[in-house]
Amino acid sequence: MSDSAQIETALLDLDLQAHTARPVTDLLFRLGGAIVLASLVLMLVGPWITPFDVGRPSDDIMVPPPDLADLPHLLGQVFTGAPHDPIHWFGTDGAGLDVFSRVLAAPRADVAIAVGANLFSLITGSLIGLLAGTARTWLGALVMRISDLVQSFPVFITGMILVTLAGRSNATIVVTLALLYTPIYVRLTRSEVLTQRNRGFIDAARVLGKSEAFIALRHVLPNALAPAMIQASVTIGFAILMTAGLSFVGAGVRPPTPEWGLMIAAGADGIVQGEWWPSVFPGIAISITVFGYAAFGNGLERRHAK
Amino acid sequence: MLSFIARRLATSLVQLLGLALVVFFAIRMLPADPVARLVGQNASPEAYASSKHALGLDRPVLVQLGDYLGVIPGAHGLLEGDLGRSWVSGDPVASDIGRTLPVTIELITISFVLAFFISVPLGMLCALRPGGIADRLTFSYSLFAGSQPEFWWGLLFIFVFFAVLGWAPPPLGRLDPMLSPPHAVTGFITVDSLLAGNMITLRDGVHHLMLPVLTKVFVLSGPIVKMVRQNMVRVLGSDYVLYAQASGLSPSRIATIALKNALVPALTLLGVLYGYILGGAVLIETVFSLGGIGQYAVRSVLAFDYPAIQAVVLVIAAISLFVYLALDVVHALLDPRLHA
Repeated sequence: MSDSAQIETALLDLDLQAHTARPVTDLLFRLGGAIVLASLVLMLVGPWITPFDVGRPSDDIMVPPPDLADLPHLLGQVFTGAPHDPIHWFGTDGAGLDVFSRVLAAPRADVAIAVGANLFSLITGSLIGLLAGTARTWLGALVMRISDLVQSFPVFITGMILVTLAGRSNATIVVTLALLYTPIYVRLTRSEVLTQRNRGFIDAARVLGKSEAFIALRHVLPNALAPAMIQASVTIGFAILMTAGLSFVGAGVRPPTPEWGLMIAAGADGIVQGEWWPSVFPGIAISITVFGYAAFGNGLERRHAK
Repeated sequence: MLSFIARRLATSLVQLLGLALVVFFAIRMLPADPVARLVGQNASPEAYASSKHALGLDRPVLVQLGDYLGVIPGAHGLLEGDLGRSWVSGDPVASDIGRTLPVTIELITISFVLAFFISVPLGMLCALRPGGIADRLTFSYSLFAGSQPEFWWGLLFIFVFFAVLGWAPPPLGRLDPMLSPPHAVTGFITVDSLLAGNMITLRDGVHHLMLPVLTKVFVLSGPIVKMVRQNMVRVLGSDYVLYAQASGLSPSRIATIALKNALVPALTLLGVLYGYILGGAVLIETVFSLGGIGQYAVRSVLAFDYPAIQAVVLVIAAISLFVYLALDVVHALLDPRLHA
């Protein structure tokens, strides 16, 4: 092999390493997928499978979770079906509500809002992006300027303002987040449409005499959607963070709905006195869930790039 | 170069004006009743009407806009740099922002610089052997850190370092309530106490910043590591690095060259990130009661204080745009190809 050929292969190798050997293992992708699936299942059935009523206060106020040393014994009781008192696995909060039940029921708020907002913005954003990518240049430019303007707003503060002034409800959070996330999808779809527009099969459709609108919706859009769908996985995670954050500062979901951010806020005062469980467990739930969506999205992106 | 800056500055100003108009109309179109919030639910119709008149909300919207912008006679408005008065306290909004903004800027700038200096070596380490153990670990870390609820981590750190270990001060502000803040020159507690030569307040100020900065650095380093790594991998695969290797330059020399080239395109992204965390400081300030502009925003929004809301959005957007612009200028200075 000649020297130049060797350099050529070495370069190619380096290129391959840089582009394909992303250090995320398949393990992370599968783990993310499992977490995403679990969060969606809990969104559907969470409130129905809680061991305690999530809304009825009890006299068991600020009961700590069982000691780690007692866990094997308690689990043994549960699995053998031996008679035992109801167990507060994650303890109870200041109102005597079971933390474990509320953590399980919360995806009905957090995940549903995040998924709803992203579906909403994915659909409107990709249609607008399609329009901006196929329409006359001035219209496309106008759409891009508007989405620039929307993106120059500070996201969190704007979310706080819109949700609070429109009246705090799950529906207003969905619409607000959808509005804030739409430009992301507009941008992604438009740039993808611009590259798809010049491909051979589009010209072929044109030769067959199909209308521009038909080509755009039937041929360009489906091929331009992949990056937007991948983005959705990551953005759903951020929407969960945002929903919980808004609720945490009092500008999101209304109490007493079981919701992770509200639960953390309610337990925040106790944490200074060492009562950690009402805040720590919902936080772990957010941490795992959002990480799951990020890992899943990242894995999807890597597979798509291959 | 000057015309480049002037053009960008002009675009930014137009964008800010557009932003101010959008905020102005958006908050008036939403179905909120700020008058009822101020006078209370049980106020008499007369009290309601007089309060509405005092706030100027009984005037046509376009007159309110003219008043806000300062284009109608006798009004001092936005175009003169007057941000109006808070409906709740009656104080000029500009002085409230002058008091709260430095707290936020201090927190995020320190966190930003620290996160940067931690992330650059980590990102480089990963890029030197893509796919190696260090790369895998750091990548998992950056994926994890970049997707975390920072307010919750703040609380967790309070639990560990204040409630259990007792190393950190209680999360109740920027300074111990027994200490008087230094004479305000810059508004940054650390810089001001240094200027006043007051080592006790400096120590206490840094002590109170410890946990908020730790939280921010933890969350921020995720995206920065990822960015440095990607740029480094690309640069290390380039022809000029191959040439440098072929010329027999030492690995450390090559790393220096590569780092410079990897960091320049990262500047623009850093600008976006800075603006993003400036707007996102709300949560961390709430957790530690720091009294920055984020907490001021929460207070104003929950009180329906329209002049304050308008000002906060505008000021934060203006700073983000300005930082973004400044970094773009630096980028253009470092990369002559962008002059064209």
